[in-house]
Amino acid sequence: MAEQRGTVGGPVLTEWFAKADLHTLDVYESLGGYSALRKVVTTMTAQQVIDEVKISGLRGRGGADFPTAMKWSFVPKDHPGPKYIVVNADESEPGSAKDRYLMENSPHALIEGAAIASFAIGGHQAWIYIRGEYDLPYEMLRDAIAEAHAKGYLGDHPFGADHALDVRLYRGHGAYICGEETALLESLEGKRAQPRSRPPFPAVKGAWGLPTAVNNVETLSTVPWIIRHGGAEYASRGTEKAKGTRMVTVSGDVKKPGNYEIEIGVTYRDIIEGLAGGMLPGRKLKVFWPGGSSAKVLPASMLDTSTDLDGLKALGTMGGSGGIIVMDDSHCVVKAAARLLRFYAFESCGKCTPCRVGGNWAVRTYDRIMANEGSQLELGILERVSDGLQNGRCLCGLGDAAGWVIESTMRHFHDEYEDHCLRHTCNVGRALAHA
Amino acid sequence: MTALSAHLIDEIKALPARYPQPRSAVMPALDLAQEELGYLTPEAMTEVATALQLDAGYVEGVATFYTLFHLEPIGKHRFYMCTNLSCTLRGAEELVEHLRGAIGVHEAGDVSKDGLFSYEEVECMGACEYAPMCRVDHRYHYDLTAEKIDGLVAERRAPASAPVQASAPHPSPAHKRDEDVTSGLLPDGERGASSPPKKRAPRKKKADG
Ligand SMILES: Cc1cc2nc3c(=O)[nH]c(=O)nc-3n(C[C@H](O)[C@H](O)[C@H](O)COP(=O)(O)O)c2cc1C
Ligand code: SF4
Ligand code: FES
Repeated sequence: MAEQRGTVGGPVLTEWFAKADLHTLDVYESLGGYSALRKVVTTMTAQQVIDEVKISGLRGRGGADFPTAMKWSFVPKDHPGPKYIVVNADESEPGSAKDRYLMENSPHALIEGAAIASFAIGGHQAWIYIRGEYDLPYEMLRDAIAEAHAKGYLGDHPFGADHALDVRLYRGHGAYICGEETALLESLEGKRAQPRSRPPFPAVKGAWGLPTAVNNVETLSTVPWIIRHGGAEYASRGTEKAKGTRMVTVSGDVKKPGNYEIEIGVTYRDIIEGLAGGMLPGRKLKVFWPGGSSAKVLPASMLDTSTDLDGLKALGTMGGSGGIIVMDDSHCVVKAAARLLRFYAFESCGKCTPCRVGGNWAVRTYDRIMANEGSQLELGILERVSDGLQNGRCLCGLGDAAGWVIESTMRHFHDEYEDHCLRHTCNVGRALAHA
Repeated sequence: MTALSAHLIDEIKALPARYPQPRSAVMPALDLAQEELGYLTPEAMTEVATALQLDAGYVEGVATFYTLFHLEPIGKHRFYMCTNLSCTLRGAEELVEHLRGAIGVHEAGDVSKDGLFSYEEVECMGACEYAPMCRVDHRYHYDLTAEKIDGLVAERRAPASAPVQASAPHPSPAHKRDEDVTSGLLPDGERGASSPPKKRAPRKKKADG
């Protein structure tokens, strides 16, 4: 296998990543893989699995930080007929590549985690919804699932137990909104991916109208480790309220971009200057997105911010998908924001008006600004559009995220916006006040 | 004359049984049709609809929503060039311009005269640590430079020396990583600042409203 950029052997998720051919069942199993699934189906009850994950404090790594055990416990136990685990492998948040990294290195960990989750909700089938561009991870998962079936680890009687388990694959076809869980379910059902209004929540009425828990790739890949080592061991890492470790993807203007497993609570300085090797020679950090393009930006002066999820929330931003985008002083914040707004406007599913109209308004306004046709008027429009996109006016988080990009870049870099709108200049290359 | 071959129609008719509800077969079915024809014609979408007992308008509505379905002819090798933020910070815009020259087209969506190439600017493909990157023939290519783009184009022009497959949606079983994924980290020294993002060539609007 070619070199993977980032952590090779960390505390939890990447524990075995230094091993060659970890993607094969033989190697995965020789290290202890599938012992968690064996233990679960042969010795535990569904409730015991949920309890163990509850002790771990694991929270969803898809962006919303929701406690995983609680999500599973919402799926009605007495529901007759099928219930589903749906794995969100749509990873399309700009700046985030960690799910791809996990699937390419250790597809069996995801399969094992998805099977354990299915058992925990009393279901028999897990569906992995994987974005269409991920050809290689798709093929690796397909082959890994076949291996697990051949060994009898999936199927009618996994490890001889009386609880059928299966994992299936469904490919997406290009649309960021499919990452939003209810849009994903629509897509899985063969429809245009437009988010549903809630309630009913997926736990009650999810995939094909049946009770469903949607979990992120990283979330489920963590579960086998928790079963092997115990929830308490996982909870001993991380911060008081945000337990464990997580993956971050560092991209942009750093020396060593890559995927790194971090203990929650380290600072962005530890990540950007430590793991990622700091800035490119001769450059200075200007701004970073702490958790995917949808997380409100933080200026260089806030580099010592902790990755603690609740601390980030208190700052008004989030750990999100873990995608850390780093930008230095050779780039213009207004141009970067304009580029991201084009992304959000293009990916808007068009279902609700504030997002559909607001996104396009923002793009047209940024176009005028970048063409040096901006004025005080454009600053005002951006402020109003940003407000119109946020605070529950949109049906799903895409609208808010678009608003956050405008709001947070304007808040921290108002002088750059003024340069563009009022003076028709760009200060990139000149000394900057923010760093 | 039907657009899709008889055996493909049979394959499509067998798809619904794989899912808890038959409608889920619509995207896999469109995939098969696109694989056979290169892109989705109105006739092909109608035939998919008939085979799945769905409304033709519904099937077209699904096909137009997702960017990986193509409704117009595309080159045999389609370059999906990422121009989202992480890739743009590392020079993606210049590379798109270089690619245009290398394959001889004026804008996104155009097909080169020999029918071999087309390109599209796309959003983040989830490999930002290798920015700038692209996807072509179902594989990712990392740490792109103008020279690497030239290499990718040349390989596909001269299949004798470097065999490449046509765009088969389910590639060969030997799905090891690309050979051209470089193993070094970053070249030493500074990289030039990237130019401002340019307006993307207009694309189909996915949403109705
Ligand atoms: C616009 C939008 C895009 C999203 N994209 C993703 C994604 O690509 N992957 C993901 O796991 N979650 C994504 N989410 C979050 C999911 O809706 C959901 O919270 C998550 O899959 C739940 O899994 P978890 O509890 O394990 O985090 C997205 C949310 C929104 C609003
Ligand atoms: S906020 Fe945007 S993406 Fe989300 S439902 Fe509304 S229009 Fe669709
Ligand atoms: S921004 Fe290009 S792969 Fe993510």
